[in-house]
Amino acid sequence: MKISKLEIPHLKISNEDIIQAMKKIPGYLDITPSDFLELYNGALAHALERLKSAIKAEHVMETSVVTIDENSSLTDAAKLMADHNVSGLPVMNAQGKVSGILSEKDFLKHMNTQEQPSFMHTILTCLDTSGQCLAHKLKRFKVKEIMSAPPITVTMETPVLEVADILEANRINRVPVLDRQANLAGIIARSDLVRTLS
Amino acid sequence: MSFFNKMKGGGQSPPVVGLSEILWSWLGAFFGIMPVAFLNYNLFADTDLVFIIGSFGASAVLIYGAIKSPLAQPRNLLGGHIISAIIGVAVFKLFGGHLWLASSLAVATAIAAMHATKTLHPPGGATALIAVIGSQKIHDLGFYYVLVPVGVSACIMLIVALLVNNFCKTRKYPEFWF
Repeated sequence: MKISKLEIPHLKISNEDIIQAMKKIPGYLDITPSDFLELYNGALAHALERLKSAIKAEHVMETSVVTIDENSSLTDAAKLMADHNVSGLPVMNAQGKVSGILSEKDFLKHMNTQEQPSFMHTILTCLDTSGQCLAHKLKRFKVKEIMSAPPITVTMETPVLEVADILEANRINRVPVLDRQANLAGIIARSDLVRTLS
Repeated sequence: MSFFNKMKGGGQSPPVVGLSEILWSWLGAFFGIMPVAFLNYNLFADTDLVFIIGSFGASAVLIYGAIKSPLAQPRNLLGGHIISAIIGVAVFKLFGGHLWLASSLAVATAIAAMHATKTLHPPGGATALIAVIGSQKIHDLGFYYVLVPVGVSACIMLIVALLVNNFCKTRKYPEFWF
């Protein structure tokens, strides 16, 4: 289920709940249970809307972002990712804007022939080709030749729940956050979202 | 929903209130009506002044018996009575020759005016109606009817409501003033 599709049915209350709550209030309440239910549902829908947009990308993003130049070699990129223990990087062009995303998936794609290669596919191919390292052929590529472009990005004002939907819909693990001038302001990974929700 | 289906109701009625609420409602109404009735029947009995009219019995239900209701708040109590009284007297002066018309006009217009001014207070309808169908004594008051009995007695009952309703630990009055 999409997080931003959190809906009223999960928070439904019954007539009996209302009657019990009314009994706890000593005074006479000038309202019928069904009027109250209508009010409650309206207020709940309003509150959900408010919550959905309350936490924005800028509140959860990681601001110290490791980036790589689009003309770097894949060896440098791999080293950077290994050193910082990240599985993906925003790629910057000469103008200092984000021109793409480089992730482990992009490496795997170019080591295999499959459209959706997995780590295990790569292992299998490696084993089949009797010891020859598939990564070797990546040496001649530059970052911009294998990166995913154009990049999927969000703005600082994008509600976090919408960010979650974007990650899910595009099957990606991180998304760069851009400021109003389209400069890189931060990055949100799936793990950042988990931390926010817990 | 079809016309006749709507008449079935189908909703649930609210729960009954506790014994303490019943007792406090009784106490409030007793001490709220008492000063108004005393002024009317003892202090000013031999004058032309009137202090009590039927609509105050209805106000007592709200301001001592249903004190959380928006209809029972000071804005509604004072505003509803005073606005309806003005309308009732004016309508009687204009259409007093046709009591059937004056009666219906007074009540209907009072409700509309109370709605428009956010002062809806059901007893206001009675206050407007009494200005039309009341005794000669009431008619003789003219627009003074707005001041005494309506304005003054509503204020007395409000003061009693503030005292009695807040005396009880579980009660608080008003919810809002204006």
